[in-house]
Amino acid sequence: MSHSILAAAAGQMGTGEKVFFWIFGPLALIGAIGMVWARNAVHSALFLVLTMLSLGVFYVLQAGPFIGMVQIIVYTGAIMMLFLFVLMLVGRDSSDALIETLRGQRTAAILIGLGFAGLVCTAIARAMGSVSAKGLDAANQANGGNVQGIAALLFTKYVFAFEVTSALLITAAVGAMILAHVERRRENRLSQVDLMKARFAPGNYPGPKPGPGVYATSDSVATPALLPDGTFADRSVSKILPTRELSGAESAPKGTER
Amino acid sequence: MTIAQDALQLPHLNYGALAPMLILFGAAAVGVLIEAFVPRRSRYALQLVLGLGALVAALIVVITESGTRELTAGAAIALDGPALFLQGSLAALGIVALLLIAERTLEPGGPFVAAAAVTAGTEEDRTQAAREDAGTEVYPLLLFALGGMMLFVSANDLLTMFVALEVFSLPLYLMCGLARRRRLLSQESAMKYFLLGSFASAFFLFGIAMLYGFSGQISFAGIHSAIQTSTQSTTLLYIGLALVALGLLFKAAAAPFHVWIPDVYQGAPTPITAFMSACTKVAAFGALIRVLYVAFQGTDWDFRPVIGAIAVLTMLVGSILSVTQTDIKRLLAYSSIANAGYILVGVLGLSKDGLSSTLFYLVTYGFTVIAAFGVVTLVRDADGEATHLSRWAGLGRRSPLYAGLFTFLMLAFAGIPLTSGFTGKFAVFAAAIGGGQSWLVVFGVVSSMILAFPYLRVVVMMWLSEPGESTPTVSIPGALTSATLAIGGLATLVLGVVPAPLLDLTNHAAQFIR
Repeated sequence: MSHSILAAAAGQMGTGEKVFFWIFGPLALIGAIGMVWARNAVHSALFLVLTMLSLGVFYVLQAGPFIGMVQIIVYTGAIMMLFLFVLMLVGRDSSDALIETLRGQRTAAILIGLGFAGLVCTAIARAMGSVSAKGLDAANQANGGNVQGIAALLFTKYVFAFEVTSALLITAAVGAMILAHVERRRENRLSQVDLMKARFAPGNYPGPKPGPGVYATSDSVATPALLPDGTFADRSVSKILPTRELSGAESAPKGTER
Repeated sequence: MTIAQDALQLPHLNYGALAPMLILFGAAAVGVLIEAFVPRRSRYALQLVLGLGALVAALIVVITESGTRELTAGAAIALDGPALFLQGSLAALGIVALLLIAERTLEPGGPFVAAAAVTAGTEEDRTQAAREDAGTEVYPLLLFALGGMMLFVSANDLLTMFVALEVFSLPLYLMCGLARRRRLLSQESAMKYFLLGSFASAFFLFGIAMLYGFSGQISFAGIHSAIQTSTQSTTLLYIGLALVALGLLFKAAAAPFHVWIPDVYQGAPTPITAFMSACTKVAAFGALIRVLYVAFQGTDWDFRPVIGAIAVLTMLVGSILSVTQTDIKRLLAYSSIANAGYILVGVLGLSKDGLSSTLFYLVTYGFTVIAAFGVVTLVRDADGEATHLSRWAGLGRRSPLYAGLFTFLMLAFAGIPLTSGFTGKFAVFAAAIGGGQSWLVVFGVVSSMILAFPYLRVVVMMWLSEPGESTPTVSIPGALTSATLAIGGLATLVLGVVPAPLLDLTNHAAQFIR
């Protein structure tokens, strides 16, 4: 019963399919163009998500439920979210330098890219007329369904390639460890005594740092506290925060001191 | 469950013939476990013994299986003459490269960084550069790469070939970034190689899709029969062939897909450069000849002029640009590009001779180039390897033995008789003439003459200049590098003087099965 819902019959195109195609086709295209054009990396990633989702819908429409779901789960679900995580970690604001290191490189790249795309598209369009479809229906029915058919191929014809993929995964994991993991060496590890000595050594202040300033006009963590002599207490604001200074309007008498 | 259990039969796996790959992958997995569970100080010896043991075992299995001619694993893997020969040469070259990689007497800790995650140039990085320990992850990575290469040369369909391409590329990208000295250069080379390699992989995959569109198959036999019988437009076939060939020619370093070679060869740790220049070439050309000879046999007239033009361009670019180089590693990189052109000339013989001469050339070039990079690791000063050519002036006076060896290797590259370089070039040019491709041979000879100039310039510089203040010393190599140099030098000499046994072997092996 689930087949009738998931797998539209291959080879015929109903009105619904056409409607969906004309809705999602432009969306996919907009997403692809937006991804390249967006200045903000997060916007770029979200445009890509749009394209990926539209593609997933296409696959399902074309009677390939498995690849459609994999597209949505793996690409939009896992890979793009990972991508966004990395963007957020690196910092949303860090943008690429838009200065060309080679003169005219961007123009040349756009022209050559368009030329290549035109060449491939026209060639494929010309060639597709004579291509005979392989019969997705037959492929889907051979082993009792789309997913079962893929499973049958994975565990018979391509079993060795499938197993070898594990080597790829191990390599990727080892690579991630090599490039990201710094092993702490035993001689670099400080004992409790060392830590205490460092804490009370000259040049370090063992107590807690002063909190940020709390005023009638601002209680932001970025506002420094004032010392008794009226100067800013440097240690009251975290180093990574920009110091927020009171503007002239903010520090002007508000008529409340009577 | 609707799936018919009895309909699914696991294909027959000839475990004996697959054993070389299984041994390497298994040993690599054990190597990763060693990294995880064995204390740091005992890892090096264990990894070295494991790696050497696995490679020797793989070589022995390949030799005992040398009579095998069959398709196995559901016809996804073809274990025929060329595949077994290339697997054997990969194991042999891998052993020699592993010896070079494992050398630790030249500088404390060897050529690999202890913790690659430490930011280059920081205080922590300077302290770790002075320490004597070094990362040993490179050994399992090497085994993974070699296992992937062995699968690459024996894959019988495009999907298996693509998986193998990724399996051997990923460890290579990583290994390029692990140099102990000049880490930023090394990381840049790894990044560059990774980005361009991913592009090439994407093109390869796109080409597979096109070929599937043409033939409805991705097995080489299926594509071949579709070329013979199909009546539909061949446009998809040619797009597919072009894109698949692009992916393979990128790995093989043919112009105009060669731009990554000089930077990556220069930045990568020199033992890894030696490994790449020998084994990646074997793997890439092994796959290229299988694709061209097995899948596209019926379209000779179409691809021959195009790939011929690429071969000519490769030879000319490699030879002309190597004249202008001032860094020995970049010089060897451009020479490796030119040599890719010579191998392509042999490939385009498109005959049994073409196949056997290509196999022969790959082996001879591999041994020579590993030994040449081995000598490069020896010429050092306080900052590591002194690779600038001006620093090599007068080296012959300082250390006649190694300068003599390097001279011999340079003469082999230049194709002087009584070296393996001469027999290899002779074989590929003869095969090309036999295949009616004399125009390629003309360009081959011309570019060889151009290429002789930079080689001889190095030789003249080493022997006829006075050693200056800045001439570095030649370190006394440890046992491992000595073994590499001895094996490489001897192979270059023996294959030049008595090439007949290896030629017989390649002739015997030069028959694909479909």
